[in-house]
Amino acid sequence: MKNIYSSFLSILFAFTAILFLTTCKKESQNGFVHLHFNHAVGTEELVLNNAWYPCAAGHLFSVVRLKYYTSNFSMHRSDGTAFQVNEAHYRDAETPETESFTLKDVPNGEYTGLSFILGLDEAANVDGGLPNTTTNINMEWPLPGDQGYHYMKLEGKYDSLSTGVLRNFNLHTGATGGNQNYVEISLLFHHPMRLNGDTWNISLAMDLEEWLEHPHVYDFDAFEPTIMGNQDAQQALKENGADVFSVTSVERE
Amino acid sequence: MKPALFYLIFFGILSGLLGCKKDHVENVPPGQDWTYDPTPFEIKAPASFPILNIPVGNPTTVEGVKLGRMLYYDPVLHSDSLRACASCHSQERSFTSDPPVLPHVNLAWNTSFLWNGKVEGALEDIMLFEVKEFFKTDLEKLQNHQDYPKLFYEAFGARTITHELCAKALSQFQRTLISGKSKYDRVLEGTNWVFLTDEELNGFDIFFTEKGDCFHCHGGILFTDNSFHNNALDASPEPARSAITSNPADVGKFKSPTLRNIELTGPYMHDGRYETLEEVVDFYSEGLKTSETVDPLMKSLHLGGKHLTTQEKSDLIAFLKSLTDTAFIADTALASPFH
Ligand code: HEC
Ligand code: HEC
Repeated sequence: MKNIYSSFLSILFAFTAILFLTTCKKESQNGFVHLHFNHAVGTEELVLNNAWYPCAAGHLFSVVRLKYYTSNFSMHRSDGTAFQVNEAHYRDAETPETESFTLKDVPNGEYTGLSFILGLDEAANVDGGLPNTTTNINMEWPLPGDQGYHYMKLEGKYDSLSTGVLRNFNLHTGATGGNQNYVEISLLFHHPMRLNGDTWNISLAMDLEEWLEHPHVYDFDAFEPTIMGNQDAQQALKENGADVFSVTSVERE
Repeated sequence: MKPALFYLIFFGILSGLLGCKKDHVENVPPGQDWTYDPTPFEIKAPASFPILNIPVGNPTTVEGVKLGRMLYYDPVLHSDSLRACASCHSQERSFTSDPPVLPHVNLAWNTSFLWNGKVEGALEDIMLFEVKEFFKTDLEKLQNHQDYPKLFYEAFGARTITHELCAKALSQFQRTLISGKSKYDRVLEGTNWVFLTDEELNGFDIFFTEKGDCFHCHGGILFTDNSFHNNALDASPEPARSAITSNPADVGKFKSPTLRNIELTGPYMHDGRYETLEEVVDFYSEGLKTSETVDPLMKSLHLGGKHLTTQEKSDLIAFLKSLTDTAFIADTALASPFH
């Protein structure tokens, strides 16, 4: 008898749960935000290999590879609260699938901006901190004494001393000598995003020129060939990195 | 369900079954006592190795690995019946022989194959290429063989042997060719009090810092980045990968070979131009040649190389030799089953 009673109860419970869930679904409290990353040099869209761009130190440079992590996304609301997603996302300018991802279950509300990390925070940036995929393994930062992963690999060629002699440059950023060196990015939307159970697209752009000009004029000649363990180079790039991103559009789908 | 629809599906299935049946009748060799009940095979890789993705359509089984191993060592697979895979991919040299033969080491984690990356995808894709296009395997020879029809049935439950099934079996065996027991691996595991010598340790530092900067292409636990680079071998490089992609930026780019067991796999480079590791290290130290597509990771290109001292060179080589896995080349489970 008791058994029948309890199974009746659990069926009743399941029913109300389903009812509850389906009614919730109807007027959803959550929406989706698609984030798209574009890469540019000044006003031009980045073209890999063979496109030459000027930089603040006076060299022409071209880009062969661009790979990096972003992590710890926070969507900020006008009331000062935030919605946070900590996972890391890998991006490779050669692989379009990596240039966008979706924040799911973002609560309804009025959002005024977003912030994230270029690179990885202390918790993720340890050996084995990311899932053991071949992609993550290829980003490892194996310098003896250091830990974790490359935050960014920006590689290419430049015209050294503007003499026509080409040299290679590698802007490889990461943690070294106990300095974390990740870049905290904080961006405001031009107009608030009123999320109401719907889907929004946010486009961001990384301007590669910004790595090389503000507040430090970064001269490849001064730092190549070794920058991974060179905290002066890492510090300059960390400070320059703060304004490499901008919001290009925020639109309802 | 509406009755008409029901009958349609019923007859569809029935005729499908009958169709299969007819196939069977043609190919059934004597012996109906075969069973298809494959036993899952657990692939054991060191914990530090990357996550292994095995295609759902080809789970690894004891029967499949056994069949793949036989096919790998059996010249019956070649249309001329003179060569087996193992004729060129020989175990005592880490499953290679003379260049340009590529070794078979940890290919389970690979996604692009051959020096120019002509075949991309899973092992099943490259194995299908090897069987169908390179060996032009004569399926009738296998189908009429005294042992293989039964072995294929036991591995795949199929009575008709196809190129695809040969490729699946070879892939299953290939996934067991795991090299992860070198001295370096034992040091990483931190057991049994195995340590690198001072020379090896110094070589490790050269390899894994910008001093020698080998790790950006040959790094990670697999000692390859599974990608393509022009490592500055020639002033007028070969078309290499651009022959596949038609992209001029890919001229001179070859697959980064794994450096595991590198001591065993010489002569070196896709054309075997260097006999010894000493010559290879001399090349990276002072022999780089400029051309348009040289990889930006070759940072000391404008200096002709890394300019390592004699001591640094021999330390680097000592470290490379710590990647030699003698257990792998002696593993009887990977050796020829025909003895
Ligand atoms: C006549 C010598 C020869 C025989 C026999 C041979 N191979 Fe090879 N194998 C090569 C050569 C040479 C290459 C590299 C070719 C290239 O990259 O263009 C290669 C490359 C490969 C690769 C690619 C490895 C990588 O790292 O990308 C695989 C896989 C392979 N062979 C499997 C097989 C299988 C399976 C068989 C038997 C069906 C076989 N080979 C038989 C010479 C041979
Ligand atoms: C830019 C990427 C890159 C870097 C950096 C690099 N290599 Fe290579 N390496 C390659 C490629 C690609 C090949 C194959 C080239 C070919 O065969 O034409 C290769 C081939 C080799 C080979 C021969 C492998 C074989 O099976 O024939 C050895 C040994 C080697 N490299 C060692 C090193 C060492 C030691 C360093 C550091 C001093 C280094 N490499 C740095 C990309 C690189």
